[in-house]
This record gives sequence, C-alpha cells and structure tokens, in this order.
Amino acid sequence: MSYLGQQLVNGLTLGGVYALIALGYTLVYGVLQILNFAHGDVYMVGAFIGFFVMVGLGGPLAPSVPVAIMVLIMFLVAMLGTGLLGIVIERFAYRPLRNSTRIAPLISALGVSILLQNAALLLFSANIRTYDTSSYIPSTLGFSFADITIDGVRLFVLVLSIALMFGLARWVNTTQVGRAMRAIAYDRDAAVMMGIDVDKVIRWTFFVSAALAGAAGVMNGLLLRGVSNGMGLVPGLKGFTAAVIGGIGSIPGAMLGGLLLGVVESLAQGYLSTNFSDTITFALLIVVMLLKPNGLLGKRAIVKA
Amino acid sequence: MLNLSNLTMEFGALRSISELDLTVNKGEIVSVIGPNGAGKTTLFNVITGIYTPTSGSVELDGKSLLGLDPARINHAGVARTFQNVRLFLNMSVIENVMSATYGHTRAGLFSSALALPKSRKEEKLVRAKAEELLSFFGSRLTGYRWDQPAYSLSYANRRRLEIARALATEPKLLLLDEPAAGMNPKETQEITEVVERLRVEKGLTILIIEHDMHVVEGVSDRVVALDHGVKIAEGDFDHVATHPNVVEAYLGRGAADRK
Amino acid sequence: MSENRVPEEIQENAAHEAAKLGIGTDEWVAQHEERTARKKGLKGVPQFIDESIPAWARWVVLLAAAFAFGAFVDNQYLLRIGVNLGLFVMLSYGLNIVMGYAGLLDLGYVAFYGIGAYGYALMSSEQLGHHWSTWLSVLIIIIGTALLGYIVSLPARRLFGDYLAIVTLFFGQVFVQLVLASDNITFPWADDYVDITAGANGIPGIDPFSFFGHKFLNIRDYYWLLLVLVALLTITISRINRTRIGRAWRTIREDALAAESMGVMVNRLKTMAFVTGAAIAGLAGAIFAAMQSAVFVSGFDMPLMTMIYAAVILGGSGSLAGAVMGAIVMSVLPEVLRVTNYSEILFLAVLVLTLAAVGKSVKRFTINIVSIALIGFAVKILLGFASIKITPTEEWVVGPVSRALSHWMYVPLDRVLWGNCAFVILIVLIAYFTTTTPRIKTILLPIIGYLGIFLWEVRLVTDVNTTRQLLIGAMLVVLMITRPQGFLGKPRVEVL
Ligand SMILES: Nc1ncnc2c1ncn2[C@@H]1O[C@H](COP(=O)(O)OP(=O)(O)OP(=O)(O)O)[C@@H](O)[C@H]1O
Ligand SMILES: [Mg+2]
Repeated sequence: MSYLGQQLVNGLTLGGVYALIALGYTLVYGVLQILNFAHGDVYMVGAFIGFFVMVGLGGPLAPSVPVAIMVLIMFLVAMLGTGLLGIVIERFAYRPLRNSTRIAPLISALGVSILLQNAALLLFSANIRTYDTSSYIPSTLGFSFADITIDGVRLFVLVLSIALMFGLARWVNTTQVGRAMRAIAYDRDAAVMMGIDVDKVIRWTFFVSAALAGAAGVMNGLLLRGVSNGMGLVPGLKGFTAAVIGGIGSIPGAMLGGLLLGVVESLAQGYLSTNFSDTITFALLIVVMLLKPNGLLGKRAIVKA
Repeated sequence: MLNLSNLTMEFGALRSISELDLTVNKGEIVSVIGPNGAGKTTLFNVITGIYTPTSGSVELDGKSLLGLDPARINHAGVARTFQNVRLFLNMSVIENVMSATYGHTRAGLFSSALALPKSRKEEKLVRAKAEELLSFFGSRLTGYRWDQPAYSLSYANRRRLEIARALATEPKLLLLDEPAAGMNPKETQEITEVVERLRVEKGLTILIIEHDMHVVEGVSDRVVALDHGVKIAEGDFDHVATHPNVVEAYLGRGAADRK
Repeated sequence: MSENRVPEEIQENAAHEAAKLGIGTDEWVAQHEERTARKKGLKGVPQFIDESIPAWARWVVLLAAAFAFGAFVDNQYLLRIGVNLGLFVMLSYGLNIVMGYAGLLDLGYVAFYGIGAYGYALMSSEQLGHHWSTWLSVLIIIIGTALLGYIVSLPARRLFGDYLAIVTLFFGQVFVQLVLASDNITFPWADDYVDITAGANGIPGIDPFSFFGHKFLNIRDYYWLLLVLVALLTITISRINRTRIGRAWRTIREDALAAESMGVMVNRLKTMAFVTGAAIAGLAGAIFAAMQSAVFVSGFDMPLMTMIYAAVILGGSGSLAGAVMGAIVMSVLPEVLRVTNYSEILFLAVLVLTLAAVGKSVKRFTINIVSIALIGFAVKILLGFASIKITPTEEWVVGPVSRALSHWMYVPLDRVLWGNCAFVILIVLIAYFTTTTPRIKTILLPIIGYLGIFLWEVRLVTDVNTTRQLLIGAMLVVLMITRPQGFLGKPRVEVL
C-alpha cells in the first residue's frame, strides 16, 4: 500500500512537469495548428538557464542569496529567457511559413530543434550537469503521512506546477490576450475580422508556452535529473503524448493528460520494469489514439468537405 | 436508384438533415435547392460516406450504403464533385482523371515495377479513357492542357475537370455540388448543356445542388427544396419555385405574405 | 422571388477565391514566356540544369560516373564513401516514397534501417550464435521489416500530418530504447537473464554477405551490389510513380478526402507506402551491418534521421533525382568537412558565393570582401595595441589556409570562450539582419562575414559533427522559407 502511494506521489510530481510541457504544445496547436517540434529543446534551454543562474549566484554549495530567493530567480530568469526564445523561434521559423505548405512548418521546426540541440552542445559541451539540489534543499524538509514520504523538492515542484497551471487558466480566461487567443483557436478568420491582432496573440502564445517549458526544465533540474543538450527529446515526446491523450488544443486536457501520464509511467516503473517505461508510455499513446483519436477531453475534429 | 428514407444527420445539437425521404429514379435529374446552410452539402457528404448519419437509411439499387467508406461507395457507383472544388492541384490535368480510375483497374506494385504487358496495356487504356473524358468538354480541356498542372486551370475549367474526374470512376449516379458556382452566364449556359448531355450520352442519373435558378430550371426533372435540413417542397420546377414554403425560406415570412 | 441574388454573392466569393489562389482565366498561357524565361543568378541554376539536360541523359551520366568510380578507384576510404552514398540513396528513396509521394511524415523511418541492421547482426554473428545463409537472413529481414512497416502503418491510417510524425518519432525512440534495454531480460519462465542485443556495446563480428560461395570480403563488392540495387530501384520506383499506384499515392498527398471519394483506397495505399519504404530501409540496414561488420544502436538515432530528411528535402521531396542529389550532399559533404583543410576552403568558397549572391553587383561584392579584410586587420591591430594576447599558436595552424589566415585574423587564447561569444553574437546579428532596413544590412554584412570566418576558424573546424548538424538545422529552416520544394522539386500549390 505504502509503495503504491509512494509511486502515486512520485507520478504526480512527474506528471506536473509533463503537464507544463503539454500545455505548451496545446497552446501553440490551438492558435496555429502546428506542432512545435522544438518545444522539447526549449525545455532543455530552460534547464540550462536555471543551472547557470544557480552557478552565477554562487553555486549549490555557497549561494550568495537565501535559497528561496535563489530558486525564485532561477525560475524567473529561465521562464523569461525561454519565453523570449519562443518569440524568436516563432518570428524566424514559423511566421514566414504561415501561408506555406502543410509540411513546411514541421520541417522548419525540426531544423530549429537540431539547431538548438547543437548550439547547446557547442556552447555548453556534452557534459551532463546536475543542480545538486540536496545540498541546498535538505531532503529532511519534507513530511510524511501514513508510510508515504514526500520530500521538500517534490512537494515544491508539485505545488509550483499546479500553481502555474492555475495561473495559466486565469490568464487565458481573464486577460484580453488570453481571450483573444481562445477566439483565434476557435475561429481564426472570424477573429481577424473582429479586429484581433493575430500577430500579437501568437507572440504571446509562444512566450507563455515556452516559459512554461522553461519552468518545467528548471523543475526537472531540481528533481535531480541530468541537464544536457539532448535532454529535451524524450520529455518533449512525453509532453506531446500527454497533450494528445488529453485532447490536443484543450487546456484542461493537457493538464489531465500530463498528470495521468506521470502516474502511469511511475507505476510502470515501480511495478513492471524501469527500462521499458517509455515503451509502455508509447503503447498508451497508441491505444488512446486508436480508441479516442481526439483525446479524452478533445473536441471532435471537423471534417470539411 | 437512390433511396433515402427517414435520414437524419446531427452535429451535436445541430440537425443538418432532418427525417428526409428522397428517391431518385434511374435516368432522372433531380435538383436540390435551399438557402445557405440548408443541409444540401451535408446530404451529399452523407450519401458519399464522409459522414455517418445519425439515423435513417441510404440505399443504392436496393443495397445499403451505410457503414461503407467513401472509396467503397464510389466503387458501388456514386461519384461526386465538391462545392469548393477539390482537385489534386499539383498533378497534371490528365493525371487527375487517370487517378480516378483506381477503383476499376488492377495494376499492383509489382506488375507496375516490372512493367508487365498486362499493366502496360491497362495504362494505355486508362490514358485513352482520360483523353476521351476530357474531350467531352470540347476544346476546353484538350491538347496542350493535358500536361498542365491542375492549379494552372481557370476556375471554370477546374469545375469541368472535376466532373471529368468523377466520370472516370464510372459511376451510375453523379452528385454535382453547385457546378455553376463562380461561372459567368455563358459558362453557366454551357454547364446546363453538359448536365443534359451527361444524362443522354453517359446514361447517368444525376443529383445536383444549384443556386442558379436558370440552371435548375434548365436541367431538372424534379426539384427538392430543403430548409434547415427539412424537405419543404418537392415537384417540378414551377411548382417548387412558387411554393409558399420555398419563397418564405428564401425571403422570410414577410415576403411570403406580401406575395 | 429574386433569383439572382444568391448566385452573385457566390460568384463574388469564387472570384475572390480565385484571386487568392492567383488564378485567372488562362493566366497559365499568358505567363508562358515569363515562366520559361531564365531566372538570373544563383536562383536560375536549378532551372538551367532542368532545362538543358534531359532526364534520361542525367541518369546515364550519373550511372557512368558511378560505374567508373567503382571500376577505377582503389582507395578503400573513397570506396567506403561510395558505399555510404549508395546506402544513403537507398534510404532517401524509401523515405521519398513515404514522404515524397504519399505525403506521410514518418519520423521513425530510420528505425527500420536499424532493425534491418540488427536483424542481420543477430542472424549472422556470435551474439546469438547464428550464422544463417545470407539469402535466408536478407529474405527474413525484408519480410520482417515490411511486416513491421505494416504494423506501424495501422495507426497511420487514422492519423495524419503532425500526429503521425510524433507517433513515428516515438516509435523510433522506442526502438532505440528496446535495443538498449534488451541486454538484460529475464523471462518469467527462465531463471537467468538473457542478453539479446548487447545494449549500448553493440554487436561486433558480423559475417559479411556471401552469395553462391562468394564472400564479400572487399568493400568494392558492396559497392557493386549497391550500384545494382540503386539502379534497379530507380527504374522500378519511377515506373511505379508514373502508373496506378504512384498516382494514387500522390492523390493522397494532395487531398486524401477527395482521393477517397474518387475510389482510391487511401488506407491500403498508406500501408503500401509504409511497407515499401520500410522494406527498402531494412534491406539497406542489412547491407550496412554486413559491410560494417559491427552495429551500434546510436547510429540509428535522431542524427541520422535528420540527415536522411535533410537529403530528401534538400533535393526536393517527390523527386528521385532530388533524392540522389540530396544523398550526395549529405553523405559526401561531411567527409569533406572531416578534413580540416578542405573544409576551410569549402567554407570560404561558400562564404564568397553567399556574398556574391547577396551583394548582387560586382561593386558591392568587392566592397564587402574588402570590408571584411579591413575589419580583420582592424580587430587584430586594435586588440594588439590593447595588448590583449594575440596567440596564433602552432596548434591552431592546421593547414596553408589557416596559416594564411593567421596573419590576418585575431586568435584569442581561450578559443572556446571567444568562439562561443562570437557564435551568440553572430546568431543575434543574423536574426537582426533578416528584419532590418537595407541600409543597416549593408553595414552588417561585412561584420557578419568576419564573425563567420572567426567562428569557423576558432571553433567550428575542430568540432565537425556539431558543425554539420548546425548547418543541417539552419539549412532546413532557410530552405523551408526560401524554397520549400527543395532544389529539384516542383513548387507546390496547396489550399488548406
Ligand atoms: N462537420 C460539421 N460539423 C458541424 N456542423 C456542420 C458540419 N458540416 C455541416 N455542418 C452544419 O450543417 C449545416 C448545413 O451545412 P451545409 O454545408 O450542408 O449547407 P449547404 O446547404 O450546403 O449550404 P451552402 O448553400 O452554403 O453550401 C450548417 O449549419 C453547417 O454549419
Ligand atoms: Mg453546400
């Protein structure tokens, strides 16, 4: 029982990270109907920014500011940095292709992904970095109930990811840009006719989507996983899987899909096999796509004829 | 030939077709009219298997078409054109027509790869057939135009090419979705003649959606009027055109009263 | 009842649509001259090649060249490049069927190559202790990969575009993971674990091909085998493309729904494309494993995938000649880049060509070159006066080109650090360049040129693989923006 509970908690933490990545896919897909292949690599960049901010503030062993502030700055700088990166990617790799063929943005995104990965390789070398979280957030900080322990870092990541999700939901529902974004997702032509500045909304969408990925990247680092130039590929795939399972284009869907995926993966690792957990996730994706092609919360796609 | 009974198509809460009964007899030309959004195109999409109806039945020569995919329905003898013209734009004019013979030709991967005599002969036949179908429109789509990419055609020629492509599937029943849309009066007149010739020369049964009342008047044996998915009138052109329900559907209640 | 109101509206709409598509009555005929008029400069090169040499003649020349290469070249290294090129062409052909004809974005394609290679390795090495006959193993591989292609195509039936891309990408990742993890599997019915794939260690000692008692001990044997296969594939694939199945594939790429309504069995054809592509890749994989005599799963991962894609797209997806051209660029160029001296010459040549293309007039071009030279001297002198260390160390001077450059270019002590800075600044400048006014562009161009040379010399030449991938990435983006149909492809029109 306790083992199960422990796996569930771990799964939810992981799921929070996936959900943040998934949201990025879903937001961009909603307004542009393109799959932002480079998203996983934006996440990688976020993790690197977080790392270098940490080093810049004195490193894990001798931080020059209180730990809480250091972590806060890490998140803020990473999110801002990746957000700007998102805007740049949109401007140079997607905007010129808005009226191009269907396949062109996908290929262009593939190009951006290769560029980012190798730029990181060139700049930061192939060394795997770690955040070394345990030296500034002691693992004793957590608490336990029944037999389940949740350490401080996990709890923090879980709470922060949920907070970010709520923040996003609020942003989409209450701000002008957020509402304009939903309008475009619903009917682009009508939105244009209503005088919505599509370019601006798309810019914002990319900013927010990339910033969420950046936050996910830092969380990944805090959870003590390695930071390296190729780290974006698999979480990128998982995030996309989560978005599809939830129903691409649907914001609650992406959250649900992310959490679900995290839990499934964690259970698979705990009970079946560590090595094959990605294979199991893949199988889940295939099953969902075949049984419910529009995802759990997705709208039915409209066939135009 | 075509038999629809009690057909209903719902998209969520929206009923695009509502308990529709419709029969088209062999050799007949039937027009479907109705204001925008009446459900005419939806009707075609249901017949050709693109949508599965919520309830009701679709039969061709007594055989149900329900549950068949669009390709099989085409093989059963139903071909169509699209309201928004969906050609294979980057293929040549003649390839557009040739590709539509897929259903009744056989050449497979290996026989094509090895250029077996059988498949070469078939290829020749297909080409000859495509050329013949394209010459159905006089000089409009012949000669040097065969090898042009389809995107280079004028709008009217695209519509003609789409008809030729539909004919290449050797249908019994042809569904034309607004064949005269976007054409000038002369071209419209030509289309009217083409539809009549399709019946006489190709022996086709035709169901046609059209907004241009000159065309409707010119070609139809029978006219069916739809509004909000409901059949509101049926009969010969004069009967339907002056039917109060139809006038109301097009012009609103006030107009119907004034008349 | 007003009869004309509705049609007029629709007519207007249609006219608007037509205008949007850039089509009017017989515009095609009206533009005949313009279309055939040769484009000037670099842009006219593909057209020039296209018009001046008939297709069959190009193939004959290519074949003759390939034949001569196999007959007269004795250098093992060069022959190996030839074999790699052959494999690359096969892979590009296969992908060209799936993506170029049927329009299915299959990002797991390289996994079939890996499966072919691993399949052959397992049937012909000490790993599992099998040494089956070449005929049998190759047959099993072709059938096996085809079958797997069939299975992967099943989700493809429901999915299109982006979804398919991701599912197949995932499939490719799963292949890699499975191979990595299958060195230590405990089956429920057995006590001990089994090692199937040797994980990341790869499988060494793979038997060479052997047909009718002739063992392929020389690399040249593989070269001939590949030449024959590629020639056969060229003929058969182009035949298929011209006839029923190929036409049907292309209709799916154009408009799957319309194709289906015209009686094309879309699902069956998608499957057929997948199966054919997979079988070709599988066969290529088997040849690779036999030639290389060792396989490592890392060779079948994303980097190779991106190179195959780059090849097909660069050449022009949907065109066999394009696939060959792309394969040549993608497989021979990296070899050239590997030799530092060549790569420097190549880089400078590309730079000069780019300047020529961008500068338009001879005067501009000269100004640009001179400015770059001046910037170089200026930087060197200024930093020299500021007594920041100038150190053209022996280690850095690798050939005559860099020796010559070392008199001109400032070389910092910490090459990595300054190279990285230059890299970042260069990216920012290029980004700015594409969006700014012509005046600023003129000023920026020489600076960008100088930084490019600097970056290349202090950083990129020493890191070939990264450089290559960077170039591929940049090429994909730039190509999509400037010439999405690729070098030899036809421009496409899409309304969606
Ligand atoms: N796939 C779909 N999903 C939801 N609603 C649909 C779908 N297809 C059609 N509809 C709705 O069904 C109704 C009928 O549409 P339809 O295209 O059949 O009209 P129509 O009679 O062909 O009109 P027009 O003269 O403009 O072509 C419309 O309200 C349309 O919005
Ligand atoms: Mg309609």
